[in-house]
Formats: sequence, C-alpha cells, structure tokens
Amino acid sequence: MKRLLVALALVLGGCSAGQGGPTTITFWDNNGGPGRTPIYQELIKRFEAANPDVKVEYVGIPSSSVQQKYDTAIAGGSTPDVGGVTTSYLAHLVGQGALEPADDRLDSGPLKGKLLPGLLETVRQTAPDGKLYAVPASGNMDVIWYRSDRFAENQIAEPATWDDLVAAATKLTRPAENQYGFTIRGGAGSVFQLLSEAYSYSGIDKFYDGGRSTVADPRNAELVRKVAEMYKKATPEADVNNSYTQMVAQFTGGTVAMMHHNLGSTADVMKALGPERVSAMPLPKGPSGKRTVVPNPTDGFAVFKGGKNQEAAWKFVEFLTSAESNGYWNEKVGQIPANTEVRGAEWIQNNPAVKMALGVLEDPATVLVPAPVYLPEYSSITKTDTEPLYQKVLLGQMSAQEFLDQLAAKLTTAQQDWEKRK
Amino acid sequence: MRTRTWAPYALIAPTLLLMVVFLLYPIASVGWFSLRQHTVTQPWKNGFIGFENFRRMLFDDPLFWQSLVFSAKWVVVEVGLQLVLGLVLALIVNETFVGRALARSLVFSPWAVSGVLTTGIWILLYNPSTGIFQQLAQWGIGDPGTSVLGDPATVFPATVVTELWRGVPFFAILLLADLQTIPNDLYEAASVDGAGRWRRFVSVTLPHLRDAIVLSTLLRAVWEFNNVDLIYTLTGGGPANQTTTLPLYVARKAVDSHDFGYGSALTMAGFVILLFFSILYLRLSKFGSRA
Repeated sequence: MKRLLVALALVLGGCSAGQGGPTTITFWDNNGGPGRTPIYQELIKRFEAANPDVKVEYVGIPSSSVQQKYDTAIAGGSTPDVGGVTTSYLAHLVGQGALEPADDRLDSGPLKGKLLPGLLETVRQTAPDGKLYAVPASGNMDVIWYRSDRFAENQIAEPATWDDLVAAATKLTRPAENQYGFTIRGGAGSVFQLLSEAYSYSGIDKFYDGGRSTVADPRNAELVRKVAEMYKKATPEADVNNSYTQMVAQFTGGTVAMMHHNLGSTADVMKALGPERVSAMPLPKGPSGKRTVVPNPTDGFAVFKGGKNQEAAWKFVEFLTSAESNGYWNEKVGQIPANTEVRGAEWIQNNPAVKMALGVLEDPATVLVPAPVYLPEYSSITKTDTEPLYQKVLLGQMSAQEFLDQLAAKLTTAQQDWEKRK
Repeated sequence: MRTRTWAPYALIAPTLLLMVVFLLYPIASVGWFSLRQHTVTQPWKNGFIGFENFRRMLFDDPLFWQSLVFSAKWVVVEVGLQLVLGLVLALIVNETFVGRALARSLVFSPWAVSGVLTTGIWILLYNPSTGIFQQLAQWGIGDPGTSVLGDPATVFPATVVTELWRGVPFFAILLLADLQTIPNDLYEAASVDGAGRWRRFVSVTLPHLRDAIVLSTLLRAVWEFNNVDLIYTLTGGGPANQTTTLPLYVARKAVDSHDFGYGSALTMAGFVILLFFSILYLRLSKFGSRA
C-alpha cells in the first residue's frame, strides 16, 4: 500500500523531474510475488547501474487483481510509466486509450528484428488498429505436467492422444489412497484452459469461420464430454471449484498425477517435485492427428500515455527485452524468451519443458489457433458468464453441447460487434 | 434574531454534510449509473439507456431471480438458526455456574474473527484430503475425497454452518446484555405465583427481550442479505451459481465483468428490497412502542 501511495504521489506530482536530479519512473509488475519480484529487483539494479540518471520504482501487483488496478489507475489518471501486461487483457487497456504504440520506437531502436515474429503478431492482434501496444517479453504454452515417476512405476507411456490420457488417468486413480490420475480446473480460469484442450483435440484450426464461432463444433463438444466424464472417476470431487492455487496444490502435494497448466507453473512444480519426478508434454492430439495449439497469452511491457518520462520509460523497456535481461528473466521463470538472440542459450538446452514447447511451436506441422483475446468482452464471457456453466456440465446439470452453444453464441455476437467497430 | 435562524442549521450541518457525502451522493450516483450502459472495457458504448438495465434484469436474466431466491433462503435460514441458537447460548451463559466467565468468552470469540479468516479456517476443515471428512472416511464414515463444497447437495448446509459459527455469538451477546437488565423481582414474583421455568421464560423473559430480538434480527437480516465476504471466499457463489446471492452477483457483474451500469441496476433492486423490508418489519413488529 505504501509503495502504491509512493507511486501515486510520484505520478500525480509529475515525478519531480527537476534538472540535475535523477528521473524516477514507476514500473508495475503484473504478477508480483515471491517468485518474480526478486528477479525484477535484480534487473532494476542492473538497469540503474547502467543508467544512473533514471530510478525505477517497483510496484508488485498480484495477477488476480491487476486488471482492476489498471482500470482504476486509468480512471483516476494515476497509471505507471511502464506496466507489465499480458495479451489476455491488453485489448482492455487499448480500448481505454491508455497505452502508447511501440511500433516506431521498435523500428528505430536496438530491438528491431530481434523479437519473435509470432509473439509480435499475437500482441498486434489484440488492437483494432493493428498497432503494437506492448513489447513482448515471454511466450508461453499450455502443457500437461505429469508425474514421470508414477508413469514409470505403472509402466504407462507418455499419452499421445486424449484417449491415452483418459486411460492413463483412470489407471492411476485409487481414491482409497487419495490418488487421482488427473485434475480438472473447474473454478476460476477453467474455460480458458478448456478451450485449449478442446481445440487440441478437435484439430479445428480457426476460432471463427465466416464470422461465426467454431467453439460449438461437435468435435469440441466431444472433448468437453470426455473431460467431464473423468470428473470424480479419475479426478478429485473438489475439482469443480479448482482455481490455479488448488490445482497446483493437488499436483505438487502428490494427490494427482497429471495437471493441465502452462510453462508459467514451472517454478512451482519444479520446486516441489524436481525434474526427476515430473515432466511436461504438449496437450494431446485428437483423432484428426493434427497438432493445433491455442497460444497462451503473451507477456510483455507497455508504456502508458501521459507519463512525463517517456524517454526513460522506453529505455527501461528496451533494457528489459534486451538479449541479456530477457534471457536472465526467462531462464528464471522457465518461459519462452521473446528475444531471438537468446535462443541458442545453454539453459534452454537444459530445460526440457521449454525445449519441448519451442519444438512444438517451431514445428511446421503445428497450427496456431489464436483465441479472440482482442474482444473486449472475451474475459467476461469466458469467466463470469460461462465458468458457472462449465461447472454445470461437470455436475451433470447441463450437456457439453448446450454449454458450448451458449459460449459460441456470445463469442459470435462479440466478434460481430468488433468487426463493426473496426 | 438572525443568529437564531441559522444557528441550529449550522449545528446540524456537519451531520448533514456527512450524510450527503456518504449516503445521498453514493445512492444518487448508483441510481444514475443504473440508467446508463457503463462498461469499463467498452467505453464507446457508454451512454444513457433509460430503464433498459431494469428490463434486462426483470425479464431477461434468470440468474437475477435465482440469486434473489437464494438470498431470501439464505437470510431466513441464517437469521432463524442464529436467533434460536444465540438465544439458547445466551440463556446458558446467563446462568450461574463454575467457569462462566470462560464459557462466555469462548461463546463470543468467533464473532471477533473476520469473515475471510472464518473461511480460511473452514476451508481447511472441509478440505477433502486433510479435513474432517477425510478423518471420518478413515473411520469408515462416508467416502474418501468427499468435497462438501463441490457437491451441490451439501454446499448449502456447509456454507450455512460456517456462517452460523460466526453469527451465533452476535445474537448471544446482544440477548445476554438484555437478559441482564431483567429485574430479578419479576422472576421471584412469578415463582411465588407458581410459574415454572418454561412459564417464566415465555411470560417474563421473552416479552422483555422483544425489542432486542426485533432489532438484532433486523440488523442481521440486512447484514446477511449483504453478506459477500464469507460466501465469496468460501464458494465464490458456486458450484454452478448454487450459492450466488444478489450482492455476490453484483460483485461479479460490476467488479469482475466491469459492467457498472448493470451492476448498479442490480444494486438498486437490492436497495429497494431492503428499504421496504426494513420499513415493513419495523411497522409490523411495532418496534420501540412498548413504552
């Protein structure tokens, strides 16, 4: 709170950028916590040593409330100079006219041509004008973390298809011993993950077909049904309320053998279980045999409009995305570095999960199916509106098809609105 | 002469000012927002839309009615049980026995625990792998892995028990305070007239407690109606909206979906309901008319 007040005072007071004294800029970490804060603090120390005329005020914000904090800051005119953002709510901020486009800066700066084109594309897609409103720093991919030790004990091979996964989950479930094969995210964040699962299974390579959402395709419904059928048979009953915290607690606590999340949980998972007991695999394929991947939100940095120290702010963003900082950061968090110069780094060779993800994303046979995170309503549709409906599916109160029909109708309307506005 | 005309107004001005700032302005502002489309994420759509939000609420939103019905059920069950159990506890700790002071402090202690902390405690108790139901399963009662918060059949009683644990002491405190103002002469006189324990309770204690009961049930009904912290943190209104109260629905619409226009319309509905309920309740119970 105190730090927030300091940040507020600095921004409101125009950052006391007197001649001679150092310039202070505020930086909001959009996922502050014991895992990430120390990494940023180290990077800020390095930045300040290289740029003695700029001081960076770090404010760590929990990811669960960051969207709300940004909205409040925009409404009250107290935005930071630089903020961490992900593409899942970038459209939000762009829609409110809060961000500076980065295209010109990038073209004339040291990062030109050095960032992964695929990540730049996912960021551009979130803005109706196609401009780049955040500089990507990390890519991510959905993975299934699984207990390689338990798979070996039971002589189960890494599942290649969803049916393999269901069979493995069933085999590894022993309720009397508090052991379950899989965990379903049934609470906060469920639909995001379910959609990745559905498209990996169905092999459908577009979210929209002629302006209509493909979500309700019977092949997607088949997957939702398969997952729902695992509920309580191969998963704990409590899964219906699972958010990330409960899910990861079940996995790291040893209750479940497989968990669908993304590379973002690397640190939590590795710290608890270690590389000898856990491995990552891509989401399994379906009967089509195609590798379709819904890209995970891209993490990056945005410069806010109205900051008095734009030059210093851009300097900081360029520093954070430079090969050295970007490599350091992604090595620590176990994600895919946006800066292509990091690709040859040794740590990537030694991190099987990141190496596997890069392999999948760079495979020419992989088709990316970007979710419409650019829709301003995307977050409220996939959270407030439909998460309870997915719970109904798990509890057997609604059919998978009916649930996807409702979701598809909302996504189609939102897309039409978006097209009209574009 | 002039001083006489403005002096009283100057004296009540601070109170009036506070009421305007903290009561009238927020109510008026919510009222105004309820007539607007106001979504933070789609500012280009914002504007005055008349009673559209209310039309949508009343005719197009089954979740509004569902949450309202659940709120009513929640208030009746919670306040009813809290009153009965609170009265029982108050009567017990009003008796003289060894260790009464300790018993009193134990009875009241849950009231000092915040809603979120209460949830923290009960989530641990309900935890399917480490909580009481796992222990019971080991003794052969029930199935292992039972998740009372995940099962639509048990989530309501589990939530009710959690809130009871915290809410009963409130009634116990209030009723005990009033119990102690009942003059002993009344009980002595009643005993002399041959009244037994039950008769003394019905004819002396209860009538004396009437105002305290009316006031505490009214306060508690309003609070329970507006209860967000405990349910939000315990179940999040789930699973599948099974425990979504009206205020929780408001929080989801306004805070999570950033739809402040519709959220304000829902809030106005809650406001009007509580206003009429309070007036009606005080009228019917003839509160404060005993003198």
